Amino acid sequence: MKKIISLVLAAVLVAAMVAGCTKPEPTTNTTPAPTTTTPAPATETPAPAAEAPAAETPAPETTEPAPAAKPVELTVVTSYGGDDGNRVNYENAFKAYEAETGNTVLDASGTSNEEWKARIMADFETGAEPDVLFFFVGVDANKLIEGGKVVSVEEIRAKYPDYASNMKDETLPKSPADGKQYAIPVNGYWEGLFVNKKVLAAAGVEIPGPNTTWDQFMADCQKIADAGYIPIAASLNEVPHYWFEFTAFNHGNVAMHRNVPASSADANGAAWAAGLNDIKTMYEKGFFPPNTNTATDPETNVLMTDDSAAFMIDGSWKMGWFEENAEDISNFTVTYVPGMGERKSTDIIGGLSSGYYITRKAWDNPEKQAAAVAFVQAMTKDEVVNSFGATAITALKNGTTAPADASSLVQDALVMTKGASGVAEAAQDGLNPSARADLFGNVSNIVTGGMTAEAAIDQALAVTE
Amino acid sequence: MDSMLFRKKKPLFLFFTPALIFMSVFLYYPFIFNVINSVMSISGLGSAATGINDPWYVNYVNLFTDKIMLTALKNTFITMGATVVFQLGIALVLALLVDGIPKGAQVFRTVYFFPIVISATALGLLFNLIFLYDGGMINNMLKSFGMQELIDWKGESLYMVTMLTPVMWQYVGFYFVIIVTGLNNISSDIYEAAAIDGASGFKRIRYISLPLIYNVLCTCLILAITGALKVFDLPFVMMGTGAPLDKSWLTGTYMYHQAFSRQDVDYASAIAILIVVLGVIISQALNMLFKEKDY
Amino acid sequence: MNTEKKSLRLAGVYLILTVWAITTIYPFLWVINNSFKPTRLIRRDSFSLALGEKFTLDNYTTAFERVDIVGAYVNSLVISGTVTVLVMLFAGFAAYGLARYNFRGRRVAHSMVLAAMMFPVFSTIIPVFRMEFAWGIANTSSVPLSLLSVILPQIAGNLSFSIIILMGFLLSIPVDMEEAAYLDGCNVYQVYFKIIIPITKSAFATVAIFTFLWSYNDLFTQMYFLRYKNTFTVTRLLNEINSQAGVNYGLMAAAVVLVIVPVLLVYIFLQKNIIKGLTAGAIKG
Repeated sequence: MKKIISLVLAAVLVAAMVAGCTKPEPTTNTTPAPTTTTPAPATETPAPAAEAPAAETPAPETTEPAPAAKPVELTVVTSYGGDDGNRVNYENAFKAYEAETGNTVLDASGTSNEEWKARIMADFETGAEPDVLFFFVGVDANKLIEGGKVVSVEEIRAKYPDYASNMKDETLPKSPADGKQYAIPVNGYWEGLFVNKKVLAAAGVEIPGPNTTWDQFMADCQKIADAGYIPIAASLNEVPHYWFEFTAFNHGNVAMHRNVPASSADANGAAWAAGLNDIKTMYEKGFFPPNTNTATDPETNVLMTDDSAAFMIDGSWKMGWFEENAEDISNFTVTYVPGMGERKSTDIIGGLSSGYYITRKAWDNPEKQAAAVAFVQAMTKDEVVNSFGATAITALKNGTTAPADASSLVQDALVMTKGASGVAEAAQDGLNPSARADLFGNVSNIVTGGMTAEAAIDQALAVTE
Repeated sequence: MDSMLFRKKKPLFLFFTPALIFMSVFLYYPFIFNVINSVMSISGLGSAATGINDPWYVNYVNLFTDKIMLTALKNTFITMGATVVFQLGIALVLALLVDGIPKGAQVFRTVYFFPIVISATALGLLFNLIFLYDGGMINNMLKSFGMQELIDWKGESLYMVTMLTPVMWQYVGFYFVIIVTGLNNISSDIYEAAAIDGASGFKRIRYISLPLIYNVLCTCLILAITGALKVFDLPFVMMGTGAPLDKSWLTGTYMYHQAFSRQDVDYASAIAILIVVLGVIISQALNMLFKEKDY
Repeated sequence: MNTEKKSLRLAGVYLILTVWAITTIYPFLWVINNSFKPTRLIRRDSFSLALGEKFTLDNYTTAFERVDIVGAYVNSLVISGTVTVLVMLFAGFAAYGLARYNFRGRRVAHSMVLAAMMFPVFSTIIPVFRMEFAWGIANTSSVPLSLLSVILPQIAGNLSFSIIILMGFLLSIPVDMEEAAYLDGCNVYQVYFKIIIPITKSAFATVAIFTFLWSYNDLFTQMYFLRYKNTFTVTRLLNEINSQAGVNYGLMAAAVVLVIVPVLLVYIFLQKNIIKGLTAGAIKG
């Protein structure tokens, strides 16, 4: 018996040790890749291990290696995994790149959520980061920039002057950490008011337009409530974010909206507090679903497709959901959120929230540098960006064009973004994630009177990273 | 325990080595980082610490001043009580009943196992739809009986019931399977002998079955109590934001919330340590109360 | 006791058992039923039967189109099978040592096993990843190594629970037989393999089922370590196709069905072959 046990133990240990020794350093291995793109991993491992040392020694500077000459393996992480609406477009684009260059893309994309972000941060911390990363450009990426983990557009252009030459330089997103440009965006996002036309017709209310004011909108909501419908589908429990964004916007303007207040007392802080108090007023008037403080976001979303609710603010990423869940998509449209004060109704929230980064690790690897640059170039070409969904919010010099078979909702959205008089970035993107979670976690407390808006803002602003 | 067989301690080394290696390398060594993290200042899982907290024990002070943490602890203790009464209670009754029936025991055993197999995400969705405010199964049923007002099952008066019912229900099957296995381990000779002596029905349960599965029941008790401390899946899917108004947090869900949503990794680490410490203290206390019995 | 009273009581027992069975079967049928419905009907109309116009196979076609499910089953079986076998072996040893030996530090050892059960996976996963990355088994494109990187922490994670349950069972078994065997000249290993394992077969089967189940369903570890499509397990893969963005309930229901089928097969198989043999009275003390 002893023998069996020790055999098993030994086997495990040997397995662990062998693994430890061969260490096929995935990002630096340069398997003379077979022309077939699908790797046969089981048999392949020993080979790269033997070659790994050679790959690691800094190769004598081969100037401007043509990407096709030496096929390499690029590791890529994006948020286009899972059920993302653009997953297929993304896969097609990188397969085209593979076919063109002979390089292999090892794709480890996931779905953007907190766990995904945590994994990416841990990877960078460990040295296991990918070569190319598609990630947020806001404060979420600050640590990557402060740690020097990604390469700036400026540095890349010094060697590859054509890098992202199809983009308008001034629109390329700047990092809040140092004001420099790092990421190359694909398509932009917007936030707008989704409308259920059937409910509006039944309540005798017009679809809000560019000239509708907030007061008119409130009167409309009252009319809808009186007709027995829910005016606004929103879960203040889970996602008060969009309503906060626009109600605060209504007390500010395009220029100042994105600034993060120092306290509830300054101009931005006052706008935030006034916005939150507007939400409270709307809650007290009964414009939200009766269980808005306990409902989940999907639960309130479905009120729209059920023809129970009239309005919902959400982002461009919600289009696919409507197309999938609405029985008749032409029953829905998207329009401007009515404004007040300095904010015109046609001033919208939107921007370029994420983009492709080249990591320092890939840049410093002579084998991979050119391949990574070519990859980002390929993924941000005009055709590829257009295939990801047309929106007027783009960094492309040529702008985007809508696909011919776009649904009425997509076309309405394009009209909305094209008619925008001003675009402000979401204010919440300036908050660190902890402060954001704190603020939005307290919206239910604010509307039920457990906390004042000012106190909630000051508490959130005090949450340091 | 004092059998001659177990006097020589040398085999112990071999018995413990594999488990010891795995547990120290993959659990204890990583957990040391968690202990260190709890006194450091870290934002964002996977990020490096920016320094030691000032004062270093600040997170432990917060544990007892954070009102939401206290709510979470209170809810967790309620869950523990409910777990013992409902999960173990129902499981024991069902197991004893199944053990006593002439036919079909196999079917029940398979069927009672179903809830543990189906993933929490799917069950969470199912229960969300059952308790749904507008159009949910229960509210629809009540409506057809003539109820006027819809009931908000996740509202301030009913949230505990709504959160705990699925948890209780799901794990009955788990303890059921363990207890039934314990009953199976009882040699049929003993029952035969008992039958000759005229013991049957409740007597048989009281004097034979229960004493013989005493240790298994103690194990279940410990698993139930410690399980309640880290229960996560279903409450997370159903009430991931602590709704209503931060009242429904449990230690497990609150720790996750701090680590991932709030990115307060050091505080989350301190909560993790509290969970572990409470788990060990409570289970050791139980062990002393219900001493293992040898036969 | 008269037979009429007896059969009345038996009917009552069956009634109670059946009522509970209905609550446990219902969700299962609910998931199967909804996996044949288009997504948009599920939130609104999840409690009706998928018949006529409501019936669709789309969810399954989508699931099969998108992914290589056969490869994923193989990966799942390799991971969960290995984990189960090794956990049974190691946990059985440790449980036997803890249950039978009287030694200094026994209480401490027991506490340590208990404590390890409470460690939240969120707090250990990142150090484990760093360690495995340094060894070169995590974040590689090699399939066997990726699978190993999941197997190792899963073994550790399932040990405590298995040790505690097995200990509970072992303590319920009288030591007489072992002593008799010892007097007949068996050493402790022979006693363990020839006497303990056969008479606690059903306990081992139960623990094996749970270990398999948890390893199989442990999405968090799998999400973290399995990054490339060819290393995906069933659970990981199907989570991928019903991630948060697409609240695609129809697809999700289909995914759940595809995930639970193998587990149920394992359960039924283990139960038929091991537990049943025992209830028939295989143990003679």
